[in-house]
Amino acid sequence: MKALSNFWRAMLAIVWKDLATEWRSRELISAMLVFALLVIFIFNFALELTPQTRNDVTSGVLWVTLTFAGTLGLNRSMAVEKDRGCLDGLLLAPVDRTAIYFGKTLANFIFMLLVAAIILPFYSVLYNTNLFVGGLLLVIVLGAWGYVSIGTLLASMAVQARTRDILLPILLFPVTVPLVVAAVKASSGYLKLLDQVEITPWLSLLIVFDLIFTAIAFLVFDSVVEE
Amino acid sequence: MNAKSKWLSVLDVVSIAGFVAAASMVFFYAPMERVMGLVQKVFYFHVATAWIGMLSFFVAMVAGIIYLATHRTRPDAMKWDIVAVAGVEIGLVFTLICIVTGSIWARPIWNSWWTWDPRLTTVTIMELAYAAYLMLRAGIEEPERRARFGAVYSIIAFISVPLTFFSIRIWRTIHPVVIGGSDPSASGAFDMTPRMLQTFFTSLVAFSFLYGSLLWHRIRMGQLAAKVEQLKLRLSE
Amino acid sequence: MDAPADTLNYFIGGYGFIFGVMAIYLVSLVVRFRNLRQDEKNLEEMEEK
Repeated sequence: MKALSNFWRAMLAIVWKDLATEWRSRELISAMLVFALLVIFIFNFALELTPQTRNDVTSGVLWVTLTFAGTLGLNRSMAVEKDRGCLDGLLLAPVDRTAIYFGKTLANFIFMLLVAAIILPFYSVLYNTNLFVGGLLLVIVLGAWGYVSIGTLLASMAVQARTRDILLPILLFPVTVPLVVAAVKASSGYLKLLDQVEITPWLSLLIVFDLIFTAIAFLVFDSVVEE
Repeated sequence: MNAKSKWLSVLDVVSIAGFVAAASMVFFYAPMERVMGLVQKVFYFHVATAWIGMLSFFVAMVAGIIYLATHRTRPDAMKWDIVAVAGVEIGLVFTLICIVTGSIWARPIWNSWWTWDPRLTTVTIMELAYAAYLMLRAGIEEPERRARFGAVYSIIAFISVPLTFFSIRIWRTIHPVVIGGSDPSASGAFDMTPRMLQTFFTSLVAFSFLYGSLLWHRIRMGQLAAKVEQLKLRLSE
Repeated sequence: MDAPADTLNYFIGGYGFIFGVMAIYLVSLVVRFRNLRQDEKNLEEMEEK
C-alpha cells in the first residue's frame, strides 16, 4: 500500500512541477498554440477550405495540427529536463522510474488537451462549425493519450541522441500514424454524424493502441533512462 | 574474429542452390496464369520477400528483448544488439523488394503503381519505422546506449508488423489474401494449380535458407564492426 | 476465352529489380566487410606501435 501511495505522490509531484514551471514561463503552451494556429492558417490556404470541402477535411486538419503541436511540446518538455540536468536529478531521486514516466506523460497529456481546448473553439469560430460534439472530445482524449504515451518515451530517447532536433518526428510518426488514422476516422465519423456502428471499430482500435503503447512504454522506460 | 564456420559454408551452398532452383521453377516450371499473364509470376518472390521481411523484424525484436533482459547482468549481451541490427537491415532490404515488386505487379493488374490501400499503407509505415531505427542508431555514438535505445525501438517498431500482416484481414482491401481466403473485394486474386503451389513453397523455403545465410554473414560483419569500434575507442583514449 | 494479358515487360522488370537489389546488397556486404578488415588491420598496426 505504502509503495503505491509513494508512486502516486512521486507522479503527482512531477506533474505539479511541470505545470508550475509552465505557469511561470508559459513558453511551452504559447509556442504550441501559436504553432497550432499557424498550421491551421497554412491548411486554410493550402487546401482552400471552402464550406463544401471543409466537412471532409476538418478532422484531418485538426489531428495534423494537434500532432505537430504535440511533437513540439514533447521535444521541449524532455529537452528542458535534459539541459538543466533535471533528468539526472529525477533519476537520482529514490522513486520508481515508472512514476517519472507517468508523471511526464500526464503533464504532456494535459498540455496537449489544453492546446486542443483552445484550438477547438478557435476553429469553430473561424469556420462557423460546431466542434463540441461529445464523441469528438472522447476521441481527442483517447488519441492524445496514445500519442503522448509513446511520445514521451521516444522523446526521452531522442533528447539523448546527437541528432535530437530532427529525431523525434522521425521516430514518432511511423509508430503513431495508425493511431492518428484511427483518430481521424473516428473524429470525422462523429462530425459527419455517422452511425455509432461505423465509428466503433475505429474507437476500439484507438483504445487498443492506447493500451499497447502505454504497456510497452511502462515496460521499457527503465531501460531508456538508466545510466 | 572467428574463422568462417564450416556450417556457414554449407548453408551458403544450400541457399545458392535453393535460390537457383526456386528461380528456375518460377521461370520454367510454373505455368502462366490465364488472366494476368507472366506478371503473376512476380507473386512467388513477392510473398517470399514479404515473409522474410517480417521474419527478420521479428528476429530483431526478439534479439532486442533478450538484450534488454540480459544487458545488466551479462557482459556479452552486446551480441544480441548485433543480431538486432542484422535483422533490421536485412528486413529493410527484403521489404523494399516486396513493396516495389508489388507495385510493378499492380501497374498492369490494378492499373496503377500505387493505391492507398490498407496493406500498401501499413507495409510502407513498417518500412519507414525501421528506417527510423537506423537513423536513431546513427545519432548515438556510445555503443551501450545505442544498443539499449535500438532494442527499445525495435520492440516499438514491431507493432507495425502484425498490423501489416492482419491489415488485409481486418479492413476491406483490394490486396489478395494468400493464406485464408480473399475478401470478395480483392482484385487480382487467383486459384493456385499444384505446380504453382509447388513453386510457391519452394520459393518460401529457398528464401528462408537464403535469409539464414545472409543473417549469419551480417552478424559476422557486425562482430567485426564492433571489434573495430572498440579498437578505435581504445586508440582515441 | 481471352488470351492472357501481355505483361512480359512487367515480369522482366519485377525480376530485374529483385535480382538487382539482391546483387547490390551482396556487393555492399562484401565491400563493407573488406573495409572493416582493412580498418582492423590498420588499427592493430597502430596499436602495436
